[in-house]
Amino acid sequence: MFMCLLLAVPAYSDDGNTILQKVDRNLNPEAFEMYRKLINIEPNGSKKEFIMYSVKKGRDQIVSVFLSPASEKGRATLRVEENMWLYIPNVGKPIRITSLQSVTGGIFNNADIMRLDYSAEYNCDRVEQQKGILILHLKAKTRAVAYDSVKMWVDDQKLLPSKIECFASSGMLIKTLYFKKTKDFGDGLIRPAVIETDSPLHKGYKSIMIFAKMKKRELPNEAFTLNFLSRVESLR
Amino acid sequence: MSKAPVAYSVYVMSLFLAFLPPAFGQDEYRFDLSEIEKEIEKKPYHIGGFLEFRPILFGLDTDAAFYKIKFFDQDQGSTLEQYNFGLRLEGSYQKGIAGLYFRTDSLLWYDYRGWDKDMTLLEGYLSLKPNPSQTLNTGKEVVQWGKGYAFNPVSFVSRPKNPDDPTEALEGYYVVTADLIKSFGGPLKTLAFTPVILPVTENINDDFGKADYINFAAKLYFLLWDTDMDLMFFTGESRTPRYGFDFARNIKANFEIHGELAWITDFKKKSIDPQGNLSTQESDILRALFGIRYLTASEITYIIEYYHNGGGIDKDDAQNFFRFADQAYDTFLSTGESAPLTRTAQLSQATLATAKPMRDYLYFRASWKEPFDILYFTPAAIAIINLNDQSFSLTPEFVYSPKTNLEFRLRTAFLIGDNHTEYGEKQNDYKIELRARFYF
Repeated sequence: MFMCLLLAVPAYSDDGNTILQKVDRNLNPEAFEMYRKLINIEPNGSKKEFIMYSVKKGRDQIVSVFLSPASEKGRATLRVEENMWLYIPNVGKPIRITSLQSVTGGIFNNADIMRLDYSAEYNCDRVEQQKGILILHLKAKTRAVAYDSVKMWVDDQKLLPSKIECFASSGMLIKTLYFKKTKDFGDGLIRPAVIETDSPLHKGYKSIMIFAKMKKRELPNEAFTLNFLSRVESLR
Repeated sequence: MSKAPVAYSVYVMSLFLAFLPPAFGQDEYRFDLSEIEKEIEKKPYHIGGFLEFRPILFGLDTDAAFYKIKFFDQDQGSTLEQYNFGLRLEGSYQKGIAGLYFRTDSLLWYDYRGWDKDMTLLEGYLSLKPNPSQTLNTGKEVVQWGKGYAFNPVSFVSRPKNPDDPTEALEGYYVVTADLIKSFGGPLKTLAFTPVILPVTENINDDFGKADYINFAAKLYFLLWDTDMDLMFFTGESRTPRYGFDFARNIKANFEIHGELAWITDFKKKSIDPQGNLSTQESDILRALFGIRYLTASEITYIIEYYHNGGGIDKDDAQNFFRFADQAYDTFLSTGESAPLTRTAQLSQATLATAKPMRDYLYFRASWKEPFDILYFTPAAIAIINLNDQSFSLTPEFVYSPKTNLEFRLRTAFLIGDNHTEYGEKQNDYKIELRARFYF
């Protein structure tokens, strides 16, 4: 019993929030572009794939646009802090959406697709150290964040996450993210290239996110504005 | 009714199924970054669009004014069918800072009048983007302004949306537009200026307004204290001057509010007397919209909008029109004289036959994303209520995308109202529409 208590005591030299910031920087540079393939797998094995191009700047600006399938092509989403807008080519103008709104089907929601830095949205309340692993207990800074709390398993050497559990305010587990297949993206960026997700709320369903061509890119703030949203694809 | 359209329907549905991508196996995904990198390789050009098949069944209301105006000398029975076939083509070509864009609609349809077709260039313009802060476009382009979902009173240089299908692509006007964007730190995060030049001649933009004038409009956008705000104006001789303001803001993470105000000077308000005479009176009018978007924990999105059209037909004038239509039909039945019905039809074109022609409307939409674990399935219910005469339309809708790039939408609109009300006097009691789209 005494041993168990000892294991639960924070024993890492950095405090939790500093570790979280390091995890953020290891997952991606502060300003970068990337491509992601999203695969939704249904219990019967059928799949639907989406490809997105995204650009992020600073802690609180991200814009994404679907490149495929054809039915979604050109659909773009902009997030600046908790403000979020959706542009649908048919509609011809961006509309402000609630930041919890989902822009595509499947288990991934906007919080995953348009994710800001974890340290921008969560405070680390507590760190547990286990053999080779740090478990960060994160609490949402505001009620606007999709998950009320998050438990993050982090490799204590590489400071990269291997698993994240996302909880509702009731304490119910909403989904689990598994980080896999660590890859060297160049320019010192070594991180998992795959995130698999499942959810007890959607038994048998699985969503996969594969990262490609992630690299540093500094763009002016004007690229993260409502007026530019219809033209995001031209940044590629 | 010929059997040909039914045969065409079966043929077209078979084509949709034939176009389906091959079913995926039960394998897990493949992790092959080189394959993904090949898929994301950027090409300078793009061609895409969709094929559409859209059969509609209209349930006719034989007692309604608009049925009598249209079919007074025909017996169409209790239902009408229409078969619509569409091809949307969209394309772009980009070289350096210049890009060319186009969007066309080609339609072929069959109804009680036989076959007909139409082709429209919705948009086609050249765009210059030297950097993310500056854009210059010229050509036919949709310039949509406003924050409303179903109505946009401040959209001064675009065609009006169809509130029954507000997310459908519109046809643009020939314009020259620019976009100048500046970002800042502090409470004012973005400032953007969008000037528009819209010429009207006998051949260009001739349905916009009076010909042989060059019109100017502009919009100034602010993202200030996390609130979107726009100020806009329109000036020129083709239409009377107008000034607008709109805003949108997230009150909570799942609750958004928005609104629009448009002040239109010297607007020609129409009224109809009991003898069916149309008169106009010039006055300044206000068009306004206030709306909310609310997302529940179970992913039901509610959109509710109130729309006031100060230039709309008022309730008394609408009742005068419907009484006049009744009289014209009675005259036809008793004497065979159809001229009063022809006059009623002409009168309706400028007044009650237009989309949402009266003063006050409430729009309601509730859509539920993927209920009961059915992926890519969204049922919705839409209601548009005419607050002046309490008539309304109620439309349940189901959208399902069973396979990549294939989408089905089934909706049934019920039009409900008393005699001499907008929805009570529509040609149809109900309308059932299936829309199948295959995107490529």
